[in-house]
Amino acid sequence: MIKLIKNYWFRRIVGSLVVLLVVLILNFFLFRIMPGDPVSTIIDPHFSPQAKQHLRAQFGLDLPLYQQFYLYVKSLVTFNFGQSFLSQKPVWEELRTRIPNTVFLLGTAFMLSALLGIWLGVKAAQKRGSALEKVVLLAGSISFSFPSFFVQLVLLMIFGWAIPIFPIRGSLSVPPPSGMAALWDFLWHMTLPIFSLVLLGFGSWAIYVRNLMIKTFSEDYILLARAKGLPENKILWGHAFRASLPPIVTMFLLALPGILSGAVITETVFSLHGVGKFLLDSILGHDYPAAGAAFYLLAIITIICNLTADFAYGLVDPRIRLGRKME
Amino acid sequence: MKRILRRFSFWLLIGFILAGIWGPKCFKSSAETQVASPFSMPLWVKKDTSPTMSLALEPKREHVQFEWNWEAPPNITIWGTAKFEKETSASLILENPNGETILLAQNEGNTFLAVDVDGRDMSFKMGLGLSPFDDPMKELFPTKGRYTIKLWPPDLKIKSGAINIRIEGSRWGLLGTDQRGRDVFHLFLLGIRISLLVGISATLLATLLGVSVGLVAGYAGGLVDTVLMRIVDVLLAIPGLPILMVLAGIWGKGLWQLVVILSIFSWMGTARTIRSLTLSLRESTFVEGLRALGAKPSYIMFRHLLPESLPILLANIALGVPSAILAEAGLSFLGLSDPRIISWGRMLNEAHGFGAFTTGAWWLILPPGIGISLICLAFLDLGRTLEEMADPRLKGGANK
Repeated sequence: MIKLIKNYWFRRIVGSLVVLLVVLILNFFLFRIMPGDPVSTIIDPHFSPQAKQHLRAQFGLDLPLYQQFYLYVKSLVTFNFGQSFLSQKPVWEELRTRIPNTVFLLGTAFMLSALLGIWLGVKAAQKRGSALEKVVLLAGSISFSFPSFFVQLVLLMIFGWAIPIFPIRGSLSVPPPSGMAALWDFLWHMTLPIFSLVLLGFGSWAIYVRNLMIKTFSEDYILLARAKGLPENKILWGHAFRASLPPIVTMFLLALPGILSGAVITETVFSLHGVGKFLLDSILGHDYPAAGAAFYLLAIITIICNLTADFAYGLVDPRIRLGRKME
Repeated sequence: MKRILRRFSFWLLIGFILAGIWGPKCFKSSAETQVASPFSMPLWVKKDTSPTMSLALEPKREHVQFEWNWEAPPNITIWGTAKFEKETSASLILENPNGETILLAQNEGNTFLAVDVDGRDMSFKMGLGLSPFDDPMKELFPTKGRYTIKLWPPDLKIKSGAINIRIEGSRWGLLGTDQRGRDVFHLFLLGIRISLLVGISATLLATLLGVSVGLVAGYAGGLVDTVLMRIVDVLLAIPGLPILMVLAGIWGKGLWQLVVILSIFSWMGTARTIRSLTLSLRESTFVEGLRALGAKPSYIMFRHLLPESLPILLANIALGVPSAILAEAGLSFLGLSDPRIISWGRMLNEAHGFGAFTTGAWWLILPPGIGISLICLAFLDLGRTLEEMADPRLKGGANK
């Protein structure tokens, strides 16, 4: 038993389940501490009598609080989020169409900015004091201090109004084209949002990688590799970069949840059809079941990313897994 | 200290603070008043288009002259009441460069002249002898040159009150106007206050929380430490902006609610830093000596451990302010702030909502955005300088 508790994987999984539980409790109580009847956060007066009856039974609104919580958890785990106040449709149906859009937007932007950032970071570390390093440091400052919506609004003004080559709103043209044209139309609408996210994101990556690489370059084995007369490229990618890879992999997974915040703002600025915009619209429209569901979904993605990051770190760095402190 | 005084960012910040405190006081009217027509450009661009002119007839100023070097303006509004010494029949007259005079308003043997004229009013057009579909501005402003607006008869003295004249144009003030005709420069100055207020108070509150938790966790150790650090882990694992949005949407959008919400979700980093510092200091000889002398844990924590970690703490505060400012601006931009409070995020929210980027109204987007960025950059730079002062090993790097 004690062996199990001390087991790295076991502890990580339990930790994630605790976070999930906290999120569920938060979700449950947040929407119930509001002034007024808690039933009014699940059932809208405009719903049909059948729908009201169904929701009452699903969430056990006449039962004691602990049984309500049990039913609530059961509903959320099975993605039965109830009915949206605004559209009068089940929330999951609304959310389902938006998930692929958000995943595509964030996934592409994240991969591109990470790859660009890592490459630039390695190059900057290799040539200290060069113009490239200054660009990297500047880009890093920008991504830490420039609000994303400001940069995106400026991009919209430049490429949507001054040089109108990109659309200013929406995920698809109205009316949407069909077939292959629809795909192109979608990509055309996504270019500016993705570009803006890459522009804002690669700087912090580049700085992180640069700092890691600078530390690695001062190690003795790099000196040895140089002394052996290995080609510079081999030292750079084969030795220095290879040794800095574990923290980069972890950072890669740890940074994933952070970009979810970007989803809300980017989708709002560009009026995209996605989960982030859905969350905002639900909150602004007092559509509590929808807001709760969107938040829950974003929280689950975060938890999964964190867990994967822990696992990846445990795999690439045995010291962590075996419970020994680094250095 | 000298190093800080040498930093440009420090002086930029002082400038921002002074502008935030004194700037809005330089304006006579409230920021909500309409000063010119909506979406007016700043005065210093496109000088061939007509500007908005605000004039007034006041006591000791019974006539005003102005140069008009542009096309006829889109509209003119005249409003206000001027009181005279005695009962007279007074009239308000516009004299154009050709020497012609046009009657704008008059009274009938009263002690005052009350005017409320809009260039689009039907009665005003009829009074000029025009049809309701004509543009009276072409009549009022036929050529370029020197115009005069005055009271008649010329010996008339205004005792009190004023008659305000506004010639609408497409340019106004230092930074133009927004969709409601408000002065963007005035709004910008008010935005400094909110950003600094929310950024600094949220960070201070978060630091207070973080320091308390970190000190207690680090010094007490054991179960207390484990529980507190698990709480930190859990809070760090909850997605930041979404939970802030949900809380702001449910709890209310007031300024202080926002500060509390922001600080609840930003103290974890400080707690971790202070905890690790405390852990290393706890075992040092001077703490051991204090314990041997019979000092209480609270005395050791607050009189010795806290001052030891002060330099790092200051740097932490300076580095924490930008994220609080960005979070506040983000929430305001998303419309999750009190709409009555003018902040930079709110300005961008309105600019986005009213499609400023589709009309090219850059003066609505650039000032608040650059304001946020500059203030964040200043705090970041200050924080890094403080950090280097606290830990000289960090020095150098880029220039070596």
